[in-house]
Amino acid sequence: MATSQRVMTHFDKPMWASIERGRLELQACLDCGQFRYPPGPACPHCLSMQAEWRAVSGRATILSWVVFHKTYFDDHPAPYNAIAVRLEEGPIVVTTLAGEPPRGSWIGKEVEFCYELHAGRMQHKARLRHVGPLQAGAAA
Amino acid sequence: MIREDLHKVAAVAGVGHTDWVGDHLRVRAGEKPQDSYGYGAIAFKAALADAGIDRSDIDGLIVGPTTAYERVAEVLGLDVRWGGEADAMLGVIQACMAIKSGMAEVVALVYGNDQRSAAVNYGGANAQGGGAFLAYVYHAPWGFTSQGALYAMMFRRYMELSGLTEAELGEVAVAQRLASSRNPNALMRKRITVEDYLSSPYICEPLHLFDYCLINDGGVALIVAEASRARKMSKTPVMIHGVARSDLNRGATSLEPRLVDFYRSAQQRAAEQVFGMAGIEPDDVSSLQIYDSFSCHIPLALEGYGYCKPGEVGRFMREHGISLAKGLPINTSGGHLSESYMQGWNHQIEAVRQVRGEGGDRQVPDCRFVHYSSDVAGKAVSIMYGR
Repeated sequence: MATSQRVMTHFDKPMWASIERGRLELQACLDCGQFRYPPGPACPHCLSMQAEWRAVSGRATILSWVVFHKTYFDDHPAPYNAIAVRLEEGPIVVTTLAGEPPRGSWIGKEVEFCYELHAGRMQHKARLRHVGPLQAGAAA
Repeated sequence: MIREDLHKVAAVAGVGHTDWVGDHLRVRAGEKPQDSYGYGAIAFKAALADAGIDRSDIDGLIVGPTTAYERVAEVLGLDVRWGGEADAMLGVIQACMAIKSGMAEVVALVYGNDQRSAAVNYGGANAQGGGAFLAYVYHAPWGFTSQGALYAMMFRRYMELSGLTEAELGEVAVAQRLASSRNPNALMRKRITVEDYLSSPYICEPLHLFDYCLINDGGVALIVAEASRARKMSKTPVMIHGVARSDLNRGATSLEPRLVDFYRSAQQRAAEQVFGMAGIEPDDVSSLQIYDSFSCHIPLALEGYGYCKPGEVGRFMREHGISLAKGLPINTSGGHLSESYMQGWNHQIEAVRQVRGEGGDRQVPDCRFVHYSSDVAGKAVSIMYGR
């Protein structure tokens, strides 16, 4: 077995540098405004080659989840989870749900990104956003 | 528009495969019976013998993605006028296209894979296929690896949205074990129940051990010939009545077509084409062979190809049935879960044998049309085999 590795193409480097700084940045198309993930040379929506790196809010909604009962990497002993979330900005990203998991279905739960040291590198995770009646009232 | 140009242009005139059971025992005992080229050569010779033709009749060659085209041709001593590399389903379609266009008349399709004895990994640090399919390796930092996990993520969402239960998904593994229990070529022949399924360990929850395909060594070969030549070669040529393909690669790495669509729109487009080209409907199909790296391919294909209404497949599998005992029999050899993991190739020869009536104890009665379907790595592919 071995430690999990990042895919690090030319376009992944700025993204991982932003994660090291503690805030995920993705490419936003300068022509149509769409965010893309994973990073790449062209906008799949409009084929523009012009993009800038923009920080995402870190707010997202869970689309699905799995729990691994088999260990594939030294740095991820089973059991552990993985979730697919849709960022507020549009792209779907796979990450880890940190903290106590929800009871019942995880789908539709709102999460917020956090950043932690893992196997010598920073990476994002997500925590449930507790939007209770008290906070909702306070926000109003 | 439905193109009918490939309707009954070509037929399968011969099939062959290696001794999956015997080789598996030897590999597990620490031996290495063959490499990928050797397994391919054994299967090729068996397919030639089955078609009753000589190697000199072959003028086209397609090899599976696990071997190099030029080297297979060299090993088999073949100088052809057309060829290339493809997976099982695209290989059959490309053979039809080559025959239709006159580039070849008799095409050998040869696959060999020593994945078990070579200890190929489909998850973890050296996961196979990551070069072509970024999703297989991109999410590794979060421990999200293995093709099983991609399907587990997809199917968890499907289960939550549709209400399909784990016990209903278990119908797939149970049905395929019933089939493999009647198949002397199958690696796993012990029948299981839904209770056995539910008490088996999770690998990537919600998928259990019995939802995962086997990993074993072996080879498969087919001889696909221009239809009139196939009739001369074989007493029971199996016609290719229709073929179809529709891809979904946009957003593939972030799992968009899996999580948002379950590949359904691609399957619906492929269904329209394959049934249109064959001139039949789902009701005319006697058996369905579905690429089953994981059991959850089956319910999604049954819905995607219109064998039941969207959202109803759990009930369909439980009540109508998907086994040799009841309903629409799927993966009648045991498929990848229970017969042999030949990456779609064993499904092609099972379809041929069922249409020929050579299924033995697992024969589907009055088998007229066998529909093959796969949705591997964003490609929904269909082939309709018939008399």
